[in-house]
Amino acid sequence: MSALLQVEKLEVVYGRAITAIQGITLNANKGEIVALLGTNGAGKTTTLRAISGFLGLDDARVTEGAIHFKNENLANRPPYLITKLGIVLVPERDKVFPNLSVVENLAASVPASGADRKRLEEMTFAFFPKLAELRARTAGLLSGGERQMLALASAIVCGPELLLVDELSLGLAPVVVEDLAQRLVEIRNQLGITILLVEQNAAVALSIADRGYVLENGRVVLDGDATRLKNHPDIQEFYLGGAGERRSYRDVKQYRRSRRWYG
Amino acid sequence: MSNREPRASGYFRSSYDQGLRLVETRTQWTSLILFLAVLGIFPFVASSFQLDLANQVFLACIGSVALMLLTGYAGQVSLGHAGLIAAGAFTAGILFKEFGAKFWVTIPAAAVIGALIGLIFGLPSLRLRGLYLAVSTLALHFVVVYLGGEYETKRGFSTGIVIDVPRIGDFVLRDRKIWYFVLFAFAAAALLISLNLLRSRTGRAWAAIRSHETIAEALGIGVPAQKLLAFVISSSMTAVAGALFGYYRGFVSVEAFSLFLSIQYVAMIIIGGMGSILGAILGAVFVTLLPYAIEYAVGLLPNARSYAGMLAAFNYAAFGIVMILFLVFEPQGLVGVWRRVQNYFLLWPFKQKPLGGGRK
Amino acid sequence: MQLAINIAVLAAIYALIACGYVLIYRVSRVLNLAHGELMMLSSYLLLTTASLFSGNPLIALGVAVGLSLCVGVLVYLFLMRRMTGEMVLAAVLTTVALGVLLRGLVVLIWSAQQQNPAQALGWVNYSLPVFGGRISAAGAGLIMTTALVYVGLFLFLRFTRYGIRMRAAGQNPLLAAQRGISLHVIYALAWGLSTLTGALAGILISLDSGLDSTMVLIGLKAFPAALVGGLDSLAGALIGALIIAAAEVLMIYYVDALLSDVVPFLVLILMLIVRPWGLFGTREELDRV
Repeated sequence: MSALLQVEKLEVVYGRAITAIQGITLNANKGEIVALLGTNGAGKTTTLRAISGFLGLDDARVTEGAIHFKNENLANRPPYLITKLGIVLVPERDKVFPNLSVVENLAASVPASGADRKRLEEMTFAFFPKLAELRARTAGLLSGGERQMLALASAIVCGPELLLVDELSLGLAPVVVEDLAQRLVEIRNQLGITILLVEQNAAVALSIADRGYVLENGRVVLDGDATRLKNHPDIQEFYLGGAGERRSYRDVKQYRRSRRWYG
Repeated sequence: MSNREPRASGYFRSSYDQGLRLVETRTQWTSLILFLAVLGIFPFVASSFQLDLANQVFLACIGSVALMLLTGYAGQVSLGHAGLIAAGAFTAGILFKEFGAKFWVTIPAAAVIGALIGLIFGLPSLRLRGLYLAVSTLALHFVVVYLGGEYETKRGFSTGIVIDVPRIGDFVLRDRKIWYFVLFAFAAAALLISLNLLRSRTGRAWAAIRSHETIAEALGIGVPAQKLLAFVISSSMTAVAGALFGYYRGFVSVEAFSLFLSIQYVAMIIIGGMGSILGAILGAVFVTLLPYAIEYAVGLLPNARSYAGMLAAFNYAAFGIVMILFLVFEPQGLVGVWRRVQNYFLLWPFKQKPLGGGRK
Repeated sequence: MQLAINIAVLAAIYALIACGYVLIYRVSRVLNLAHGELMMLSSYLLLTTASLFSGNPLIALGVAVGLSLCVGVLVYLFLMRRMTGEMVLAAVLTTVALGVLLRGLVVLIWSAQQQNPAQALGWVNYSLPVFGGRISAAGAGLIMTTALVYVGLFLFLRFTRYGIRMRAAGQNPLLAAQRGISLHVIYALAWGLSTLTGALAGILISLDSGLDSTMVLIGLKAFPAALVGGLDSLAGALIGALIIAAAEVLMIYYVDALLSDVVPFLVLILMLIVRPWGLFGTREELDRV
């Protein structure tokens, strides 16, 4: 069975000059949680934008490669049609409509064809009981964690098969992040939604992910099972904050070398 | 350029001073002199009707160059340009009617009044940007026109103010040929003033404000003062154009300064091409001549007589369409077309401009 | 008393027109300066449908209003859609150009003479006594229509799915697209609704006082009402219309009739100086231009 999402040798160029992504290949199977790790500028967000159809806004375009979702090519589709196909993005910031109430935020989502909106709405309240309490509250007055909940909830009401989450942990307290991460696992387990998680916080991402990809400078430099990645010395050193002993500068070189080999 | 240096095709500036020069290359000198010669000979070969057209173009040029300074360079949108033209025309008319003031008094007076009104038009720009600023100038347009209308009715000139033919000493400005040279001189002066402003510190400050106000402020540009200056200079020039318009027509009336006139001026700088003095001139020529072209075209239609009464409507419709076409398909305006043609010949036989190079 | 009635009728006119400005601005941040011309076009459409369906004034009215809705949608689909990615100002100037074009077309098709659609429909504009003053039937119709339209719009925006999506799209178009909302559908809907309410206003005004190109000026004078209330607030448009209408009627009555065309703009300038974002508007809007 071919994967739900297949990104093949994707290349994205900004403004005809800057190549942000240079041939990324990745895939996500049904029901998997896949983490996409990397520092700033590694090309994580660009990958997400390419999948969700938002490249055109920044004068960027896919110059090579293809994105297949359920064996359909996504190239050049407007964002709302991609959402209708079942791919929903939870953006990094500005993720709720600030002047609408919680319920209205949910109502604004257009469910994919065939999705049962009633059931989905009830499910989201089951996942996030706190939202049910706050249903009449204006979204702009919610706290950061509540906003993230609402953003996830409204994305789920769209009835996605693939959920793209950009920086789940951004600006949130560790406790809240852990809680949200567990909710993501629940959502996956109950709805069978595939989740592509873009994160700088590798610890959180790898704790819930099945597999992961590490991006650097627009390339995939490492990939594999989450456990394997977690135990990989380079990940330990550079993404999980030096769980091992402090290394010398020489090893950075070695890391670079290994990066080249993996790439 | 010595022969040993590598030679690139095209003209490249190699020092800052060159960037400040008014006329840069020999080709430009030649074409400028040729152009002036043609303009000089024109009145002696043209018919009276053609002279009238040329005079209208000169008047429109002053106004559109002024608006280009404000909108195209300083980035402050104005939908009240007709109000300023009205202000100039009424200054001349009222001074003449009430005090019998002479030509050489009323024109500077129009400039001063224009500057003052420009200051008023400009005040909202200190708080407002873009759309809201455009709206506030629109509102001011109505206020100025209202004041003019009020003067007309209160003083009993309800059809308009008649201005006598101006004379400077024994020199009478009656003939269209004489007007041609006078208006040409004024237009050339407006052009020179603008070009000089733009290549000086003021012009660079305006460009900075247009790109980003906050950054301009951080660069040490006095944003409020520069904005007001843009309004004052632009309005002053426009008011002079208005006063000249009043003298040229010999008649001032509020009906001439409708909102449509403002739209026409905005259209000039859009059709010509934003951010280019050449564009302002091309736009002025285009918009001024368009109605006559349409009149001619309608005249060619079978049974043209029956359409005669609808000429104004044809004008409106065609003007609207042309403006839409430019906004949608050629946002760079006529200047954009001109540059593309120029590039085509410069680069021939190649098609693509090298990245970031070529003539801008 | 008559003064109060005049104010009420004028306020109803302005409010009905102003909600058209608000609808489009709120959804797409574009100021539709062709609103007055679109209004005029709708009234002329009524003139045509009145002669097509002579004897059935209600059908003629319904068809004219329906056609206006289509006109609005078409304007978006064929013109404004191309301007979505452009600068807001270019879009606004496009509406200005559209207005000029419509002004020409209307005269070419229907001629510049003053027309009387009420006569064409075979209706008489009765003058009705109320509370010691008099109000024309069309004037009363205006007030009722405005009330209905506002209640309708309020319910639509608050409780229906498309209304909520419209508000969502206005707040954050990107996010709206991510949630599967088709912006083109929403924008087209906004243009359609805006033209529809404009058509109602235009038709009722023309039934009241005849039809010629001065309609455009009325449309333009209603714009300060929208801005005084706050360009993105429907309730604001209602209050703004009341303020503008009261100022205009009182100034005409106590000071000078010539002031009528300029009072709304004076109030506008005053508002722009004191509180540019309007009484009920959102403040951040100012920087979005």
